[in-house]
Amino acid sequence: MNTVDIPRLREIVGEKNIKTDPLDLYAYGADASVYHASPWVIVRPDNTGQVQKLMAYANDAKIPVVPRGGGSGMCGQTVAIQGGILLDMKNMNRILEINMPDVYCRVEPGVVDDDLNAALKPYGVFYPPTPASSRIATIGGEIGNNASGVRSVKYGATRDAVMGMKVVLANGDLVTLGAHTRVEASGYQLHKLIVGSEGTLGVVVEAIIGFVPIPEFRCLGVANFDTLRDAGNAIADIMASGTIPSMLELVDDVAIKAVNKTMNLGLKEVAASLLFEADGKVMEAVEYEVQKMKEICEKNNGADLWYSFDAKEREQIFMGRKKLFPALSQFDTSMASTSLADDMAVPYSKMADMAAKIHEAAEKNGIVMTAYGHCGSGCMHTKIMMDTSKKEQWAGAKRAIAEIYEYVNSIHGTTSAEHGIGISKADAFRTEKMDSLKMMAAVKAALDPNNILNPGKLQQAPEDWVTATDLRYAVNS
Amino acid sequence: MQTEKTKFENLEKWEGMLAKCIRCGYCYEHCPMFKYTRWESDAPRAKNILAHGLLTGEVELTPAVAEKSFNCFFCKRCEAACSSGVKITDIMLDLRRDLVKLGYNGPGTTSITDRSCARCLQCVRACPHDAREFIDGEGIVVDPVKCKSCGICVEICPIEAITIPLSFGTDKVELEQRAVEFLHSRESAKVIMYACNWSYHPDIQNSRLPESELEEKEYEILVNLCGGRIDQNLLLTPFLNQAWGVLVGVCPDGECNHDGNEAAKKRVKRMKETLENLDINPDRIHLVQIPAGDKQLCQAEIDTFMEKINQMGPIR
Ligand SMILES: Cc1cc2nc3c(=O)[nH]c(=O)nc-3n(C[C@H](O)[C@H](O)[C@H](O)COP(=O)(O)OP(=O)(O)OC[C@H]3O[C@@H](n4cnc5c(N)ncnc54)[C@H](O)[C@@H]3O)c2cc1C
Ligand code: SF4
Ligand code: SF4
Ligand code: SF4
Repeated sequence: MNTVDIPRLREIVGEKNIKTDPLDLYAYGADASVYHASPWVIVRPDNTGQVQKLMAYANDAKIPVVPRGGGSGMCGQTVAIQGGILLDMKNMNRILEINMPDVYCRVEPGVVDDDLNAALKPYGVFYPPTPASSRIATIGGEIGNNASGVRSVKYGATRDAVMGMKVVLANGDLVTLGAHTRVEASGYQLHKLIVGSEGTLGVVVEAIIGFVPIPEFRCLGVANFDTLRDAGNAIADIMASGTIPSMLELVDDVAIKAVNKTMNLGLKEVAASLLFEADGKVMEAVEYEVQKMKEICEKNNGADLWYSFDAKEREQIFMGRKKLFPALSQFDTSMASTSLADDMAVPYSKMADMAAKIHEAAEKNGIVMTAYGHCGSGCMHTKIMMDTSKKEQWAGAKRAIAEIYEYVNSIHGTTSAEHGIGISKADAFRTEKMDSLKMMAAVKAALDPNNILNPGKLQQAPEDWVTATDLRYAVNS
Repeated sequence: MQTEKTKFENLEKWEGMLAKCIRCGYCYEHCPMFKYTRWESDAPRAKNILAHGLLTGEVELTPAVAEKSFNCFFCKRCEAACSSGVKITDIMLDLRRDLVKLGYNGPGTTSITDRSCARCLQCVRACPHDAREFIDGEGIVVDPVKCKSCGICVEICPIEAITIPLSFGTDKVELEQRAVEFLHSRESAKVIMYACNWSYHPDIQNSRLPESELEEKEYEILVNLCGGRIDQNLLLTPFLNQAWGVLVGVCPDGECNHDGNEAAKKRVKRMKETLENLDINPDRIHLVQIPAGDKQLCQAEIDTFMEKINQMGPIR
């Protein structure tokens, strides 16, 4: 293990931007995943020059560097599995420019998604990829994970919104990628390569991102289903019909129960519910789309059909969805909700089968799993609820996850639709990307020859996800 | 691990709940300590992580860990944001109980009384949480488990013998400084709003706006944690620095954990009298009561006040 020259780091960022106390290191050892590993030092740069100097130093000394935004990643992306310098980017949090005529804004990576949207609101526009964690997720972290959210079905993911960026490479060089324009035809589109690279290719220090007008009308509908299959068929039919939902969300019985319990929304506890939304500038057009989705739900045995333009009513339903993930924690007193196998995407026509497979694998292996997600983009979310203090539950989870990914692979799905790979999904990722692993390794070696940028993640992560680091839970028996 | 658990016999019962904390970080968005230092280790999620570490023995109990555990203003913004239902402040209180038994007393954000104390015992009577006691031979003793860092005793002490050593930017001297800085920073600056941390002010939380957006900024929201901390100087300073008005945001009647809203009402009323005596329109200082979580109402109150103030114009 190479030791860090703390005085040198102090020189670069100043005394007040560095932490070495074991308590700070321990606190920064976690994110929203099942992992924990303490970094050796936490450094908080304030500007690009400092990031360049830090990287040049780390590259020379061959010390791992883990960039971190809000630390809300769910797969261990910011857990310093090999120790090293944790680069807390939250101080580079300036919104640099809101350029209305050219329809973009320039931001530093530490800008919080909700803050950006609050700043854009007076201009009548919004930044659409917005994950459910938007209150703490930073633009840098969203780029790292290629985050997306409920509205991505219509407006795309982070990769679609990013037009360009400035990146500090492993050796400290600063490069400008992309353009200030919506389209760019030739070349390798390297800024898009950085999106989703989970901090392994460079440190983003500035991003140019597009925004879209806030629609004048939004209409949200709900349909209940007695079987997951009917709901799944409705999703596939909606997507094949040419309707353009601005949101299409599935929640299963486990999820509904959890939301009711924490939020008291009084949702009917059926096998599955679909939330469908359309938005736009013309009320009749929006209603037409929603009406069409409603009809498709009806045709697939949907019941209790309801829709509303009213902001308050929509907000109440939507809050339930937004808080779903944390609400699952309260599903059962003896169980904790863990982020594992959490966000595969599968072809629309396979959504119902996927949900059934998830429930089957869970039952077989003695754990509880829920299926919900941004079905409009084929993304299925799950959570594993289990007694995290028991070894046998972890073994069960491991078996269930292996079965689930085998199935995902067999139906040409993908391991992660939005939360990324990190540590927990690396195994399935390697299987899925078998053909391109060499290419990815070559890119990584070319940009980061000393392998200092977030090492041990993505294809480099340990084989066994359970023992990759200490688990964040107390596993007793 | 067994030994660690016995050491933390109050904290131990929260082991299951600490596993339920999904470590999403939602809780740190509005935490005044995180907003001030911007270190995650000052945020509520880190408190849960440390508590877990203490229980498992992965974190060694050091004076620094203990000190950190005594930092909290009990605004409970974290709990309002957490829908996993993690009882963050209850967990912290039980950890404090254990720490006190192990010989740690904070102070962190709890109040302390220095030796110049005149023993008038006004603070003992004023403390809404029964945290202050006069003990013969020792003077005023503060219970670091009961103290909720509201700052009311700090305001009431006639000889300024009470302090909260770790203020996280909520100390009145710092607040006055920030008010003055804002009022002299741009021509458009007109109003200071002191908001308690319960009223969910609609400010940008953890990012910085472009300079161009701030050029025309007319008001600044300063979080002073509890209305009970407001004193005459805090209210007067903006007026001495060209402010057109001052807005005070507190909780609705009966909803303040420390009855700080009642204290604020009295001080604002007195300030109105002072302004009248100086021939200044008393409406230039205004108190609004905003239920926790009502950002919209808070913004609406600010907008109404700004409209009124703009009609009045500067103080001549
Ligand atoms: C409750 C909850 C709900 C969530 N919902 C969603 C959702 O709906 N959709 C979704 O996509 N995700 C979701 N997530 C996952 C996660 O919040 C998002 O992916 C988010 O974008 C991460 O942002 P962050 O700032 O917390 O990033 P971090 O977790 O800090 O970092 C994420 C990755 O980006 C890298 N990184 C961070 N900053 C930089 C930088 N400046 N340069 C280079 N690399 C960088 C890190 O190294 C890491 O690999 C959710 C998480 C939680 C806890
Ligand atoms: S206490 Fe609640 S809000 Fe905070 S990290 Fe844990 S689950 Fe999330
Ligand atoms: S109660 Fe307030 S000060 Fe204490 S941890 Fe929660 S948000 Fe922070
Ligand atoms: S008045 Fe408030 S700050 Fe003072 S001791 Fe009591 S609870 Fe603590």
